[in-house]
Amino acid sequence: MSSGDYIATGRPLSEIPRTTAATGSDVPRVLARRTGPPAAWWGMLMLVASESVLFGAFIGTFFYLRFNDPQWPPAGDPHPKILLPVIWALVLATTSPLMQLAWRAARRGSLMAVRSFIVVALAIQTAYFGWEVHDYHDELSAMPIGRDAYTSIHYVLLGADHAHVFAGLLFDLWLLWKFSRGITTYRANALQAITWYWHFVVILTLVVTAAITSAAVG
Amino acid sequence: MAIATPPTPAAAERMELLGAMWEGRPGILGWFTTTDHKRIGLLYFWTTLVLFGAGGVEALLMRTQLARPDQHIVSPSTYDELFTLHGVTMIFFFIIPMTTGAFGNYLLPLMIGARDMAFPRMNALTYWIFLGSGIFLYISLALGMAPNAGWFDYVPLASRAYDPGRNIDFYCLAIIFNGLSSTLTAAQFIVTMFKSRAPGMSFNRMPLFCFAFLAASAGLLFALPLLTADTIFLFLDRNVGTHFFDVAHGGSAFLWQHLFWMFGHPEVYILIVPAFGIATEIIPAFTQRRVAAFPLVAIAELLVVFIGFGVWAHHMYATGLATITAVFFGAATAMVIIPSTIQVFAWCMTMILGTARFRTPLLFIAGFIFMFVMGGLTGIMFVAIPFDQTVTDTYFVIAHFHYIIFGAAVFPIFGGMYYWFPKVTGKMYFERPGQISFWVIFVGTNLLFFPMHIVGLLGMPRRNYTYPAGMGWEPYNMAETIGGFITAAGILMLFGNLVWSFFKGEDAPPDPWHGATLEWTTSSPPPPYNYAVIPKVSSAYANWDDEDRAEDREKLARGILVLQEGHEQVAITPVDGTIAEIVEMPHNSPWPVLLALSLFFVFGALVLQRFGVAGIFGICCLGALLGWHSKEPQEQ
Repeated sequence: MSSGDYIATGRPLSEIPRTTAATGSDVPRVLARRTGPPAAWWGMLMLVASESVLFGAFIGTFFYLRFNDPQWPPAGDPHPKILLPVIWALVLATTSPLMQLAWRAARRGSLMAVRSFIVVALAIQTAYFGWEVHDYHDELSAMPIGRDAYTSIHYVLLGADHAHVFAGLLFDLWLLWKFSRGITTYRANALQAITWYWHFVVILTLVVTAAITSAAVG
Repeated sequence: MAIATPPTPAAAERMELLGAMWEGRPGILGWFTTTDHKRIGLLYFWTTLVLFGAGGVEALLMRTQLARPDQHIVSPSTYDELFTLHGVTMIFFFIIPMTTGAFGNYLLPLMIGARDMAFPRMNALTYWIFLGSGIFLYISLALGMAPNAGWFDYVPLASRAYDPGRNIDFYCLAIIFNGLSSTLTAAQFIVTMFKSRAPGMSFNRMPLFCFAFLAASAGLLFALPLLTADTIFLFLDRNVGTHFFDVAHGGSAFLWQHLFWMFGHPEVYILIVPAFGIATEIIPAFTQRRVAAFPLVAIAELLVVFIGFGVWAHHMYATGLATITAVFFGAATAMVIIPSTIQVFAWCMTMILGTARFRTPLLFIAGFIFMFVMGGLTGIMFVAIPFDQTVTDTYFVIAHFHYIIFGAAVFPIFGGMYYWFPKVTGKMYFERPGQISFWVIFVGTNLLFFPMHIVGLLGMPRRNYTYPAGMGWEPYNMAETIGGFITAAGILMLFGNLVWSFFKGEDAPPDPWHGATLEWTTSSPPPPYNYAVIPKVSSAYANWDDEDRAEDREKLARGILVLQEGHEQVAITPVDGTIAEIVEMPHNSPWPVLLALSLFFVFGALVLQRFGVAGIFGICCLGALLGWHSKEPQEQ
């Protein structure tokens, strides 16, 4: 038994990559040789799972209150918009494949492509966030949060979704700053996890938009 | 034979190298910046003990007040704060952080043959957040604004109109703050169990202890957000003027109860499943036999938590649910009997089929089985809905859940303290005083909680600060109070024994019990790097596989899988446990404690309704996160 040919659960030890130490052109090579996603991806999956329950509770509350009230939205509350929020949600959805492309580029080790995809995604996400904040503010001035149960859950649900988009913007900015200094396994792992975060946020936004606009459909 | 003694001079050199690399910083600063799961486990242990003491004093004050009728030792409002704080402290600040925080942190990486958690800095963060939330909760007591609407905090009683002080704001924020810690703990436990096991430990070779903690972690991960949502709603109702629970504006008081118990019932299993895990480690060690029906027990541990998510409305039978709903939840509740009974039979059969040595840890487990069956039997009675509606809000309910939460959750914690004491401290505890402490606690708790069944059936309501004479309740209440003080004396004996043993006990060998799992293969206490060689695992009872342990020693002598080139750990594929990659682990970071400190000020500002100040400290949190991620593994 010498260290060179020692077989550790199916693979010679010499073939097992030391992933986190890799930088630059080594990154695609070690990423190809590791089996399965890294702990960072699993960690993000746990966060997403937990956050899904939180939003499950919010959306559950929305419908629980709805079926508790004779009229929804209650008399005097304006109906929610339908067209613009749906269009913007679909626009945001395009950033999900863009982030996936950025992660694929990182796996190939093409730094320029990583940066470009993130910049384009970030531009779309920022435009979405800008419009949503503006709209939220407008809505608040016409219909205060403390009017009734409908306004309460309406603003909390929307606000929580926007907060998740905002966190995603911060993630992207941080990624761009990191990738401006080259590529490492650590950054590639972060990109993979944040890509999955954006997949989650996009699905969340679609579901939240559907729930919110459902009030207008009756 | 353990790997604690190096087989060759070359091996000794390797172990020295590893020791230098994994050793934390010396002194106090080392504790503030530590990422070592063993140190974090100990920090959790000491902090939860202090909070356990606080919760215990609250309980004794209540028992003193109730010893005789018409007493006025504490005022009604103080009594409200006492029972609320007692519940909140024991559930959120003692049992969860003691089992997951202290036992889980210290033992999980050891049991799966890892050198640390998958996310060591996040692990440190969970401790500092937990400490911050504990201080936050008890500041409310110092300010005379302790939560006072019961641990389940029903609205409208907890709404601003009926509880105008800051008491309930402290409750909401302390729960959210503490929940952050538990959620992060759960997430990183699951990832650690998926990614950091020793190669060869496929999923079905994980010790039952780990399955129990996996179940509890999954429970926390999926149940806590429901409570977080609920407390966010309540905080907004009280501070921003929303109307989630305000019936006059289209809200619903039931909404609180539904969300609370959707969390609250899984919570009960989150409390006791780790105790099951401790029991399934102690029983094989003291019977020298593999646990009967291993796969069934593993599945039952997971199933208990899973079914626990579908039974919440049985806490709400008295609220006028539709009959069909009540019956559905009664039937779902009855299903919990199946996995619970599988485990009880497996424990008993293992003890019967092996040769049980009733040392102190096993005594506590035997006591636990008795208490769990007692509490389980009264639990089954509640499935009969009319019976539940009759005794709801009486001491019968208190008796039931204390048999479960004290008897079934805390007894194994005590047993586990004795069982792993030699591993953690390197000293043996004193056996005879240990056994006496068990009997004192066992007699005390039964004297404390059994009469509560009777006064409950006689109609004594819970949460009343006193009661009139002549109802026939006096002798039972006096007995309960005496039982309470006997229990406290037993617990003091337990800790007295452990402290005394720490200073005067004999040195412990690496494996005093011939335990089944990996932690007994390393020295007592374990070195900072846990294992000099990433251990080989080919069954769930790794310490009993002598060939594998011999191979570990040979590998150490030859320098295979020692990972002495860096601060490294292996990562595996989650199901079969083959090596996926070798990763560099973070070490000694000041950022977790700074992030938790910023969060503490965020919550402090929120309770004072200074939302702008909270925002400023929120930006400090972002700064801490930026610092946290500024240094990459290859730069270390």
